[in-house]
Amino acid sequence: MNADFIEKWQSQLKKGTLSFIVLLVIDEGELYGYELIEKIKAKTKIEIAEGTLYPLMNRLKTDLLLDSKWVEQETGIPRKYYLLTDSGKRTLEEMKMQWININNVIKNLL
Amino acid sequence: MNFKKIQFDSNDAQKIYENYLKQIKSATKKLSSDDQNDILMELNSHIYESSIKKEHSSNEVTNLIAVLDKIGTPSEILLPLVAEKKLNQATKTFNPVHVFQALALNISNGIIYIIFFFLYLFLIVFLGLIPAKLIYPDNVGLYYKKDVMFEFGAVFNHDQNRPYEILGNWFIPTIILIVILFYFLITLMLKLKRSLNKTKISI
Repeated sequence: MNADFIEKWQSQLKKGTLSFIVLLVIDEGELYGYELIEKIKAKTKIEIAEGTLYPLMNRLKTDLLLDSKWVEQETGIPRKYYLLTDSGKRTLEEMKMQWININNVIKNLL
Repeated sequence: MNFKKIQFDSNDAQKIYENYLKQIKSATKKLSSDDQNDILMELNSHIYESSIKKEHSSNEVTNLIAVLDKIGTPSEILLPLVAEKKLNQATKTFNPVHVFQALALNISNGIIYIIFFFLYLFLIVFLGLIPAKLIYPDNVGLYYKKDVMFEFGAVFNHDQNRPYEILGNWFIPTIILIVILFYFLITLMLKLKRSLNKTKISI
């Protein structure tokens, strides 16, 4: 087995699916940055660095898939919550369909 | 929404935290004040949530250092975000200062930004024809004679060409118009390139 190759391939897989994972997790309910990182870690064992997450959230907002809102907290430190837009929800449904198709194609090859 | 500082009991923790805030402000100073405030508040919230939810040692300073270490140095972790937000600002406002700052921040994100840099540089060189026309009025212009010559810019055999200069006093306004037109065209191309951009992330 070529361990180097597997490592690079795994990294590419993670990169390719990260936005899909973020959208799937936010689809369950609006989340703020820290909570999102923790939830993804708990569900997938993938640990996203802050320096990776925030540019990705910015890009998903620019692409109009996500929206954000500041919510005041009793602590006085507001949280920025991210939520899916209507376009984000429709895009996510299409991504799910495509994922199922790819999965079936790979299953047939295995 | 207003930014509110986190208050620590320990003076040392407060100093470390405020120094980190300064680094965030320094890393985002090229952005609009709204974007600066948004990033500062979001990272501040991240520091606060990490500090209270993670089980660290009971020492406030050790806790804070662990949290800030995990987030990373602002100038490094904010670079991709700042580069992207700057590019957004530049292509929205068409402001040349923002455009050059955005290109400088994105120069490591692909050869395409180097090409854009040279396109803008070409425009500046083109603008140089204006002082050239003022200093050497006979040597700079648009020289045209059907089937014989078509020369634009600075020429040296002006004695022979001079009768065929057709723009005269309109040369400078023409240059300004062309530069403005191409500036908008190149910036629109930059905007288009941005919308075609794929998400660049690393884990």
